[in-house]
Amino acid sequence: MKSKSLLPLLIAIVGLFSLPLFISNPYYIHLIETILIYTILLYGLDIVVGYVGQVSLGHAALFGIGSYTAGVLFFHFGTPIWLTLPASIVVTAIFGGILALPALKVIGPYLAMVTLAFGTIAQILINEMTWLTEGPLGIKIPKPDLMGAPMSKAQFFWLVCIVLIIAMVVVDRFVKSQMGRAFEALRDSPVACDCMGVSVYRFKVIAFVISAGFAGLAGCFYAYSEQYISPNTYNNELAVLFLLAVIMGGRKSRLGALLGAAIIVLLPKLLDDINLFRIVASTIAVVVAVGAAMALSKKVTTPRRVMVPLAGVVGLAAFSFWLDRISDWRLSIFGFMILLVVYYLQNGIVGFAKSFYQSIVGKTVTTRGEKADDIDDSISFISAVNNQNAGTELLKVDSVLMQFGGLKALNNVDLSIKRGTIHGLIGPNGSGKSTMMNVLTGIYQPTAGNVLYAGQSVVGRTSSDIALSGIARTFQNVQLFGEMTAIQNILVGLHHTFKSNMFEIALNLPSYKKESQEAYARAMALLKFVGLEDLANEEARNLPYGKQRSLEIARALALDPELLLLDEPAAGLTAPDIKELLRIIRKIRDSGITFILIEHHMDVVMSVCDIVSVLDFGQKIAEGKPAEVQADEKVIHAYLGT
Amino acid sequence: MEMFAQILSSGIAVGMIYAVIAFGFQLTFATSGTLNFGQGEALMLGALVGLTCVDMFGMNYWLMIPIVCLFGMVQGGFVELIGVRPAIKIKSEFGWIMSTIALGIIFKNVAENIWGRDALPFPSPLPMEPMEFLGANILPMEILVVVGALVMMLLVEFFNRKTIYGKAVVATANDRDAAGLMGINTSLVITFSYALSSLTAAFAGVLIAPLTLTGAAMGGALGLKAFAVAIIGGLSSGMGIIVGGLILGIVETATGFYISTGYKDVPGLILLLLVLAFKPSGLFGKTAIKKV
Amino acid sequence: MLSIKNLEAGYGKVKVLHGINIDVPKGQVITLIGSNGAGKTTTMRAITGMIKPTGGEVTLGGEKIDGYDSHKIARLGLAHSPEGRRVFTTMSVNDNLLLGAFPRFTGSRPKGDIKNDLERSLEMFPRLKERRNQLAGTLSGGEQQMLAMARAVMLNPEIILLDEPSMGLAPILVEEVFRIISNLKSQGVTMLLVEQFAAAALKVADYGYVLENGKIATHGPADKLMHDPAVKAAYLGGASSH
Repeated sequence: MKSKSLLPLLIAIVGLFSLPLFISNPYYIHLIETILIYTILLYGLDIVVGYVGQVSLGHAALFGIGSYTAGVLFFHFGTPIWLTLPASIVVTAIFGGILALPALKVIGPYLAMVTLAFGTIAQILINEMTWLTEGPLGIKIPKPDLMGAPMSKAQFFWLVCIVLIIAMVVVDRFVKSQMGRAFEALRDSPVACDCMGVSVYRFKVIAFVISAGFAGLAGCFYAYSEQYISPNTYNNELAVLFLLAVIMGGRKSRLGALLGAAIIVLLPKLLDDINLFRIVASTIAVVVAVGAAMALSKKVTTPRRVMVPLAGVVGLAAFSFWLDRISDWRLSIFGFMILLVVYYLQNGIVGFAKSFYQSIVGKTVTTRGEKADDIDDSISFISAVNNQNAGTELLKVDSVLMQFGGLKALNNVDLSIKRGTIHGLIGPNGSGKSTMMNVLTGIYQPTAGNVLYAGQSVVGRTSSDIALSGIARTFQNVQLFGEMTAIQNILVGLHHTFKSNMFEIALNLPSYKKESQEAYARAMALLKFVGLEDLANEEARNLPYGKQRSLEIARALALDPELLLLDEPAAGLTAPDIKELLRIIRKIRDSGITFILIEHHMDVVMSVCDIVSVLDFGQKIAEGKPAEVQADEKVIHAYLGT
Repeated sequence: MEMFAQILSSGIAVGMIYAVIAFGFQLTFATSGTLNFGQGEALMLGALVGLTCVDMFGMNYWLMIPIVCLFGMVQGGFVELIGVRPAIKIKSEFGWIMSTIALGIIFKNVAENIWGRDALPFPSPLPMEPMEFLGANILPMEILVVVGALVMMLLVEFFNRKTIYGKAVVATANDRDAAGLMGINTSLVITFSYALSSLTAAFAGVLIAPLTLTGAAMGGALGLKAFAVAIIGGLSSGMGIIVGGLILGIVETATGFYISTGYKDVPGLILLLLVLAFKPSGLFGKTAIKKV
Repeated sequence: MLSIKNLEAGYGKVKVLHGINIDVPKGQVITLIGSNGAGKTTTMRAITGMIKPTGGEVTLGGEKIDGYDSHKIARLGLAHSPEGRRVFTTMSVNDNLLLGAFPRFTGSRPKGDIKNDLERSLEMFPRLKERRNQLAGTLSGGEQQMLAMARAVMLNPEIILLDEPSMGLAPILVEEVFRIISNLKSQGVTMLLVEQFAAAALKVADYGYVLENGKIATHGPADKLMHDPAVKAAYLGGASSH
């Protein structure tokens, strides 16, 4: 972290710690304490929602499991806090893993439902298993002991502060490490993620386990903070509130989590006092109106876009004057806030503030991340493959049959790919080329036949396993990790070079720092190779199309492959881009990597392939040198019909 | 034997309600790939509106049904307009998941404020004396529930198969782009499928209301279990939903009887988790082929 | 009938069409040929509203239709037999055909005698008549292609767009498909035919356009184009200016 941003943070921390000295009313300290505890939970929830990009309605239940682990241990065994704390974390993390299992194969609404079902079951079990949890009666827990006597409210508050800061640092390190990148890759393109050697299943479980760990930690503190826990606290309403907090505060942001927590804790209190609410609602309405006027005057937005949010906040203020009591409408207001945030505040308050500030000040920033260091040209970014075996067979496709229902996409196809060659695969639309790619990379299991890579069968192995054993690929429709920067995309490809575990990352040990630096250097070298070094910190989805394709190739190279599969690399490229593509392909070939190239652009095929196989209707109809194939009667007929 | 028959008959009635609500999930998922996470609240509103018609306006139960159905259509159209259409436009799955959840919360809160938080009794249109059949006590209302649910699903099936507009809906579900090429206004079809979905939920609400207590909280559990049924049966199979509903209804009633009413909801949810873990497309659904 | 001027279109960032001009006079069969990736299907999609053009204009019978939604364009009398057939697999052959006439049911197009037209369609496609109650998903590739074309005819359209009707079909079925296209031509139906099989397309068409990398490389009367070496070059590379 740079020293400039460190100062305001330090001031904030000092301020935080000094609060109990200035505020005498314990009610407010407790309120802030609750905000801090929720923030810890939201750090965990953000991993699933902000980084993996899924909706989780199960975190209230995980929160409850954390609280009840502490409560049950205390109630039955009188366990002290220094044991209940790790126990809460571990037990909740285990439940997080259990939650991940049914969630492995599903995403989106199905995953949301898995978490909702889990949450409901957990709440029912806590309520019914009275022999363990005392059920609806709840459990009373005193403040933990410190050196023989129970902690004072201030001492406990300071304990929470310390843990919050540690949690914040740990989460920050995780999400900036290869783990955070793996989570984001999972969100942006699960298929590409697997094919880059990052197992989707594995990281989904890890995400849920870590997320649950934070929830458990927060739950444990919550129990000691409230000093009384009961099952109906941890209901679906709380789960939705946590979601609102994360998206309203701002995803992928430590400050956002804190803001979100503050909102969901303070808002109900605000709603209890109608006069205070009226003042706040009116102030917000005025602020939004002024902001809208400013943005309109600078032509940053259109009347249509500000109309709805403006009507919303003004309407809310008016509504508050019409009613005498607003606390009954608490949930409607939350629901309304969710709607507003989902459509108008997608990046949360933090994200909105950032872009609003930039649009007023006039700076356009689409880049993120630290400035890349000077590129070390001496780094060989392509690990040269042993050239001695050039010409021997690297990949053998043996009578592969790929059948979908009645359709034979690949019908008894044989291929022999020799080391060091560029092997072209052409054929009319629907001839089975992409299907072949997907079979080779484990996305499809062939109905019959075998695929042998360096003598070992590939059939039945997972895509990430195949990728790690030396087969890398690009996709017909670019499958970059869109929301991640160019260099981050490459770093995902370099995931396999990271050996550090969670603890080494959390403690920022030298071994991890060294690994990280080496990976960054290698990534920059790879970017330079494809001419993208200046765009390292640009989000992949903002790159021009031709550069996106180059980035995909560079990312595939990061896997240190022996065999590189390119699926229509020239599609949609202009002539100069195609020249660049050919240069890249030849350079890669010079270091001994073998290619399989699917292409429609005949010029590309002719100029760079050593041998070409032609598919039609899932069968190989011709094979040979490019010129031979071009003149082959059967091939001409397949393409032209003459 | 009597116990078995009792569990079976009660379970079937409950299961058919789940099936009807799940039917609504299928309708919108087929045409738009989206679901209404507030489907349970659509049922709840239908039941409460029906209660008001019958209690406050002294309406006849049977006359009230079409009014509730109309209300359901409007409510469904509203959900689609506010919650789903904007999300489909920006291609955000997160968007419609969160906004249908949000709308569900808002509806529940509004209901709490209008009708109060207590559970209210719903006057039954049929006599409340149970009939005896094979040793089980069956309420006439339970039979009405099963009949009503089947009639509703058959009506929709009839609409889908026999009318050109129904065929247009099925076509949209099958292939949205191609349906557009036929001159079918597919976004209107989606709005309609939401209207129809809420209609079936509201109808289910007035069917089940006389059997249980009606209140703002009745939607939550029902919605989740209906979703379980939709998943277990398979979001693309009509038959699967009925089978799934019956399985869940019977298992649930049996659990409530043999273990305890508190645990009643658990087996259905565990079944849901198991299906999602091993065969996400449902017992009767077809697995989709990945296209890369 | 259908006039395309300086059409530009693409997918997101990728621009596929860089300004093409095509004219389809009433009563004629015009073909658009070119290798894969040249932009043929993109052209069709841009015309029928499946994607929105980013530049240029499309006029149907005098009305500017670029930017319209597909259903609006269909209701103006443009029928599209799309790439990959896209028949409604869970519905019967009969229902698929009825849906082709949807705008006639709802009044957006002159009603005419739908039942009669349905029977006549089935006469023209005897394979479909045998299978009229069968689910479209169980038909073979060739039969699905017949169905897609018959479905387009059911609209009583001003013009039919046929997108790669021969794709994935065995040669003998390709012959049958083109025989039907000839048949339709002799009935005076206006058609725009996009094809991968240049030979068959040029045999049945009046006029042809050759698409290469999103631009019209050459165009002319179909019988002249058939012997033009530029056509072979567009597909298989070789001796030509690239």
